[in-house]
Amino acid sequence: MIGAVSVCLFLMTGTSTAQVSDYQAPRLPGTDNPDLNGVWQVLNTANWDIRPHAAGPSALPDLLGAIGAIPAGLGVVEGNEIPYQPWASDKQRENFEGRLTRPLTREMNETTGDPEAKCYMPGVPRATYLPHPFQIVQTQSQVFIAYEFANAARIIHMDSQPPSPASSWMGWSIGHWEGDTLVVEVTDQTELTWFDRAGNFHSDALRVTERYTPITPNHLQYEALIEDPNVFTRPWTISMPLYRRMEPNAQLLEFKCVEFTELFMYEHLLEPSSD
Amino acid sequence: MNARTITSRFALTSGLLLGMMTQLPTTAQETDRWTPDRTAWGDPNLQGVYTFSTLTPLERPEALGNKATYTAEELAEAELQSIIPATAAETPTAEGSNDDNLRGNEYNAFWASNEKGRLAERTSLIVDPPNGRLPPLTERGQQIYDERVAELATRQVGEEPNIYTLYDTWEDHPVYTRCVARSMPRVQQGYNHGLQVLQTPGYVVIYYESQHDTRVIPLDGRPHIDSSIRQWNGDARGHWEGDTLVVDWQNFTDKQFFMSIPPAIGLRNISLPQGNIRLVERLTKVDENTIDYEVTVHDPTTWTQPWTLIVPWRADDPSYQSPVDLYEFGCHEGNYRMMENSLRGSRVLRETYTEAE
Repeated sequence: MIGAVSVCLFLMTGTSTAQVSDYQAPRLPGTDNPDLNGVWQVLNTANWDIRPHAAGPSALPDLLGAIGAIPAGLGVVEGNEIPYQPWASDKQRENFEGRLTRPLTREMNETTGDPEAKCYMPGVPRATYLPHPFQIVQTQSQVFIAYEFANAARIIHMDSQPPSPASSWMGWSIGHWEGDTLVVEVTDQTELTWFDRAGNFHSDALRVTERYTPITPNHLQYEALIEDPNVFTRPWTISMPLYRRMEPNAQLLEFKCVEFTELFMYEHLLEPSSD
Repeated sequence: MNARTITSRFALTSGLLLGMMTQLPTTAQETDRWTPDRTAWGDPNLQGVYTFSTLTPLERPEALGNKATYTAEELAEAELQSIIPATAAETPTAEGSNDDNLRGNEYNAFWASNEKGRLAERTSLIVDPPNGRLPPLTERGQQIYDERVAELATRQVGEEPNIYTLYDTWEDHPVYTRCVARSMPRVQQGYNHGLQVLQTPGYVVIYYESQHDTRVIPLDGRPHIDSSIRQWNGDARGHWEGDTLVVDWQNFTDKQFFMSIPPAIGLRNISLPQGNIRLVERLTKVDENTIDYEVTVHDPTTWTQPWTLIVPWRADDPSYQSPVDLYEFGCHEGNYRMMENSLRGSRVLRETYTEAE
């Protein structure tokens, strides 16, 4: 029976999470739940492109030289391909071409350019694999995640399933435990966030099911099932390990990036010709 | 204001003056007996969703002298709950507008979540100095304040009552209007004044609804981050003294503005750089639904003495009962049009007034 379950898990989750862990995490005091508290961060290049990709030049090689060039990555999408509907593949390429378009009009601001460049809250799952740490704060009854990027944050409602009051940049998170795995259903995100700097995108019908599983004292396996019938032909999954920041004094620092994007976003507003 | 209101206000004021002669036991003495429950790992449990909205003004009206609290009789006056907001209007609560043209049209009571139905017995948030008022600024503090007031004047056109403040660049906007940061500590906000306290072994976390700012406060005795790292929200280190959480809070950047959207001419406002400020917070749960949030402000370069305020954090407010009541504060994400309109509008106004001259 145990063998059959293992085979079943293997078939369901593909290669990257095939090593089903026997690891038993310490419990959070006062609960039967594994303790996921800590400062965590990925070690991958998914924020450049969640798909497999070779290295490439930066968008501004004349200004930056090799700094800012794209590091290669094996990809975090299971099966390596994102099952876009045909129109959506074109849209992704368009997004990539226009990723650093400055928002010269309101319409451009709402339709064009990588939201990371504008310091907009990143949404889920991108918040997880931005090149910044985040901190899981697990209390006896709740889970909360604070992200360094743009000081984004989200509350994961564990003790009930309240309905979402409004669509939002970080979505509406409802969590529960399946054994030692924290499962979070994220809905009601805006259509304005992207998956990465390559322009991979979704609609406001996005539904993300995240799974956080401790696999060693210092690693969580992260998996996110992506469902969006407006954009994709079928559900698909990304997965990656999360690494504990091991510095004894590890802490989130500020990355309040609004002040870093104001020139990019607003400079044109100073010119009379834009009236 | 009708005649009846005026009469009652005179009556109340007389009552307040009489009340000054009576010494009452302080709030702290009365509530010290209450003991909070514990987390599973033994820390006092401060967790919950709270609001720090209050009707109590930062500074006490001078006529009240050293009178720190209203008497029960004074509170029983039917008109009291309308008197206190009138007093509060003397202090900066209209964060949405530092512009004279907007004064009087600030976010109104609908957005506030006040102590209606509870006794707001304190006469000021400031409890030290004993007169409930800010200590005098140092020479440097006054100089910076005056420079900021003068700088603002250079960006104003028109004549009373139509004075317009111009924003020639986004940097002329207060950092809060730019959605970069909001003053710390959080005291007297017109709206989105909810927060959540969370606890996990070794940490207390404070999540503020406004600007979705999270302060993760380590309790393990580690030193502050290097003094070269300056942050909008500073760097906090906590420890327990009995049932009180004591937080040492420093490493602020000078870009942060202390307890204000600066500068606001005509308001008794504080609009000073925060870099030299060290804050000591003391959080004590004084009853089932209240944390007394005490902050002592240390900055000998700005004020001639340290000073202390106490704000109640209330868990029994209908607006903030659970984490569901904390909405995502998408400020910068919705700010493009504001910036577009204010910069273009300022340019048009400047051209109009230049031509008129």
